[in-house]
Amino acid sequence: MNVSLVPTLKALKPAALVVGAAFVGLVFGYWANATLFPGPAQGTAYAPEQPINFSHKIHAGDYEINCQYCHTQARRSASAGVPSVSKCAGCHQLVVPERPQIRMVLDYWENGEPIPWVKVHDLPDFVHFPHKRHVAAGVECQTCHGPVETMDVVSRQAPDQMGLCLTCHKEHQVEFGTDCLTCHK
Amino acid sequence: MSSIDRRDFLKLVGAGGVGTGAGFVLRESINHPVEQLIPYPVPPEEFSPGIATYYNSVCSMCSAGCGITVRTREGRAKKIEGNPAHPVSQGRLCAHGQAGLQVLYNPDRLTGPMSRSVEGGELLPVTWEEGISQLAGRLGDLRANGQGNSVCFLSEGVRGHLAGLFELFMDQLGSNRLLHYDFAHPQTLYAAINRLFGEANLPYYDLQNTRFLLSFGADYLGNWISPVHHGLGFGRSRDGRDGVRGRFVQIEPRMSLSGAAADEWVPANPGTEGILALGLAHHIVNEGGYERGDRDAWVASLEAYSPAAVAEQTGVSADTIIRLAETFAGTQPSLAIGGGAAGQHSNGVDTLVAVNALNYLVGNLGREGGLVFNPPPAVGSGANGAQATYTSMLEIAEDARQGDIQVLILNQTNPAFTLPAAAEFRQAIAEVPLVVSLSSFMDETTAMADLILPSHTYLEAWGDDFPEPGVGFSAGAVSQPVVSPLYNTRATGDIIIGLAQALGLTDAFPWSNMEERLQEGWREIHARGVTAAEADDFEDFWTGVVKAGVWGETSRRVRPLAVESGVIESIGVESPEFSGSSAEYPFILHPYLSNTLDDGRGANLPWMQELPDPMTSVVYGSWVELNPTTAGELGLVEGDLVEVESPEGTVVAPVFVYPAIMPNVIAMPIGQGHTNYGRYASDRGVNPIEILSPQVEPETGDLAWAATRVRLVPTGQRVEIVKTGGVSRELGREIIQTVDAEPSAGESAGLSSIPVTVVHS
Amino acid sequence: MSFIDNFLARWQEYREPGYYKEFDYAWTMTIDLDRCTGCEACVTACQAENNIPIVGERGLAQGREMQWMRIERYWEGEYPDIKLGFIPMLCQHCDAAPCETVCPVSATYHNQDGLNAQVYNRCIGTRSCAVYCPYEVRYFNYNNHHWDAPLDEQLNPDVSVREKGVMEKCTFCIQRIRQAKDTAKDEERRVGDGDVQPACVQTCPAEALVFGDRNDPQSQVSQSMNDPRAYHVLEEVNTAPSVVYLKKVETDAG
Repeated sequence: MNVSLVPTLKALKPAALVVGAAFVGLVFGYWANATLFPGPAQGTAYAPEQPINFSHKIHAGDYEINCQYCHTQARRSASAGVPSVSKCAGCHQLVVPERPQIRMVLDYWENGEPIPWVKVHDLPDFVHFPHKRHVAAGVECQTCHGPVETMDVVSRQAPDQMGLCLTCHKEHQVEFGTDCLTCHK
Repeated sequence: MSSIDRRDFLKLVGAGGVGTGAGFVLRESINHPVEQLIPYPVPPEEFSPGIATYYNSVCSMCSAGCGITVRTREGRAKKIEGNPAHPVSQGRLCAHGQAGLQVLYNPDRLTGPMSRSVEGGELLPVTWEEGISQLAGRLGDLRANGQGNSVCFLSEGVRGHLAGLFELFMDQLGSNRLLHYDFAHPQTLYAAINRLFGEANLPYYDLQNTRFLLSFGADYLGNWISPVHHGLGFGRSRDGRDGVRGRFVQIEPRMSLSGAAADEWVPANPGTEGILALGLAHHIVNEGGYERGDRDAWVASLEAYSPAAVAEQTGVSADTIIRLAETFAGTQPSLAIGGGAAGQHSNGVDTLVAVNALNYLVGNLGREGGLVFNPPPAVGSGANGAQATYTSMLEIAEDARQGDIQVLILNQTNPAFTLPAAAEFRQAIAEVPLVVSLSSFMDETTAMADLILPSHTYLEAWGDDFPEPGVGFSAGAVSQPVVSPLYNTRATGDIIIGLAQALGLTDAFPWSNMEERLQEGWREIHARGVTAAEADDFEDFWTGVVKAGVWGETSRRVRPLAVESGVIESIGVESPEFSGSSAEYPFILHPYLSNTLDDGRGANLPWMQELPDPMTSVVYGSWVELNPTTAGELGLVEGDLVEVESPEGTVVAPVFVYPAIMPNVIAMPIGQGHTNYGRYASDRGVNPIEILSPQVEPETGDLAWAATRVRLVPTGQRVEIVKTGGVSRELGREIIQTVDAEPSAGESAGLSSIPVTVVHS
Repeated sequence: MSFIDNFLARWQEYREPGYYKEFDYAWTMTIDLDRCTGCEACVTACQAENNIPIVGERGLAQGREMQWMRIERYWEGEYPDIKLGFIPMLCQHCDAAPCETVCPVSATYHNQDGLNAQVYNRCIGTRSCAVYCPYEVRYFNYNNHHWDAPLDEQLNPDVSVREKGVMEKCTFCIQRIRQAKDTAKDEERRVGDGDVQPACVQTCPAEALVFGDRNDPQSQVSQSMNDPRAYHVLEEVNTAPSVVYLKKVETDAG
């Protein structure tokens, strides 16, 4: 067949310019979003603002309160759980109740309302991560959660990517630890 | 580049703009949304997050009363299983039972009391105080004026202490108009058992241990009285003791689920099942070596029922009759059961007397594998006392039209749907000045109510149940809430107690709620001291019963193996009568309870709508089953819309060519055809109950719902029937393989391709 | 070993059918066709346990079925000598599964317990596995599914809710197997016979389904497998299924 190349390209030029402009726009729009709203992206150092400035550094670091004193379900259940408001109020009804942040906690407690914490470590819904098994295996909380006892605001230290899980499972030769069904529901 | 003209420039800018927007949105859409962690203000004692909590209770999806175990997570019900300790379900459960979760979490539930402040006005939300006082006020006035009997209470069939509560309430009002109404209540079977044996309760049919079952029309694996327990019995009898496998024969004009499971399906003309039973009896008595003292009486009564005579009426060959009779008498133990459509003809009670009399003839009464008499239930008089028949519903309707009923209270029953149009029940309800519904769902009958006081579903309420039919010994269970109530509803018992207290009846109703009432009732059971499990302290006993989900009593019923006097002499089955002439209406309509939707109550459950009908694999609709030869003669194929016309009315449904139905019979499933029952059920399919003729069985007054004649009028239109099954023939693929007889171990066959197994060390 | 030798050795291993020469647990199910009544309790139990969506009338009319366990019915003969047989059909967890060979992204594979595993978030929805499956037990999510509130309160948190574009099928209730292994590990023992039952097995009123580990010669399923009535469906296709059917017994009733 005899189709000349140059006239065809010339004819397509207007359409190509439009598509090119759209593509440039796409890239620009994406970049604009990334710059203006960095937001909770993948990667590390995600440290969202919490409704109450609870400091793990004070509680777990200075006062050396055991992780499982508050996160009681970690050794019993798949989810570690977040302490109930009653747990906070248990101490703080007596301990410095007049400080503004504590006052906010006690307000929640007196109104019978839960504190709406923002989730920092959020695994996708199709992943089954049993805290119980890891605690039983002697994995320290800090292994995945980082040095929480030094954090004033909890930040995500380790990436919530599968690589984190697999590295450990391979290194410690977890029995059938690399089988997909071990973690994927 | 040459200069761009304005148009092109604008095009490029536009494209860039659109691209920018798209890029922005793109990044937004792949962003991980922020999630929150909401703790409890105070952690609950009942459960731990992430760990399941199990509650035992009782299923209410049908009248069998299976014990269930419900798995809950964080206060939500997730899965229902059978309770392994309960004698009826023994850890197993049917599809309806599983769908109970969709009753609890149904989006169309009534969420709070409603009232029509203006006659014919809209239903508007009211508070419980307003609702209770509105009803109590009216009831109080009527009671004070001695008009208590103008209050009528129509409930679905209930047992246990709730039934007693209804009785007490109506008694205090001074009304005797308390009825339980269920379409499929086996009224004629109760009457037959009562006439034959003088027993008020249904017997226990021991399928598990029988070696030969003759079922006359009873779809025991589908919907008949206790399908889970029958399924257990069926499975275990197949397993056989001593290598003998139980065999099953099903006799009916249209193959049901039980007919498919049977080793032999015998088509018999509708309404002639009792005649057939007497044909078998004739052979057993005359040729089968029957030697009891009453032989002469039997011979005299059965004179007209020789196999040859019976063959003509029933359409079953004399050879088959003789063969079945000989096997039935010769296999020990054997068992005959009857019910379903067989009991719903003009000769229904006589039919079931004849069928159950076969058990007497072969001597299986009270024996393992036969018919075992049940002790009366621990509480109440059994489920039949207050059960309505069609005739009693007609009386209620007539009373309403006469103005004798001022208040009608309905509890979870839907007679506007489950009564034929001929009963004119809807019109009758319209005459009642105050109609109150305690139902959990809006349905056709509740839509006519002036006041709605919605009940909890069974998973949210306290109750108890004593299964009927029993299991050969006295058993029961307490039903407990497995979740907190979802909406502003109340337990039915609490509503009644609340009404009673508003009426000042605190002497008769000293309890503050149903749970308290139950505990008092169970205190009496505990005090009788015949409990199988010993516990001195009532609190321990109660906790034990609630936790276990089951309770049993060691008393059994021992009874002499006899029939009531006079029964043998009067035994006989007339030919069935049908509505309409056979010339005008050539087909007999065989409606049957849908395996998925039951009597229509399951139609608002999406799982049940999506569940294919086991025999036809049709979903989401109604259909008319036709014999292939009949379809061929009428020139009808699958999907052709036909009008099914009875002397009472017409419904339109598509044809389904059904290989296992008699040529002069057409069948339709009951369950669809709702007009007001939620988003999943409304305006879907047709309700064959509507066009049933008001034929009754004379002794009980029950509806002979298998006695309607119809004709088919093709409309010329065709629709696609939605089915999940494809070609329903194997075409040589040998997917279901069979063996001719139970092969003994060591014979050939078995597996060739399971890999060599390695035991993990 | 040199790179080439290493590669060849691993390739040899990879090419062995079934990937594993021995299974840790070898989960097997037997289905006794003589006991199955076709009541479909197993179908509904599976729907409840595994967050199976409601496809709706329109979807079903288009053949977009979603029943991990389904009951097939086959008529035999003509009226009045007519019989109907039921057969529950679910993923056979074939040891030589055709679906595993075709997946371009390895979203389906055989694990160490003899299960055919489906990883939802890896699946890109080519649907070739459904084509290759001789038993037609793989189902595709043609839509994102929606549960009218509060029906979503019933969803099982131990099972993913699948999105549009992924294949799904019976998993032998892997969440229950995982739970049983968890409990067994707490008690430092192996999973015993009867510790784990998939939803369908647990609910069957006729006790037609039996589930267990065929590596354990004492297990109920091992006894059941050795019944002379045992066979595989479509045996000629040689997929080495882990589901064993027991032939229906045909007798004259008289």
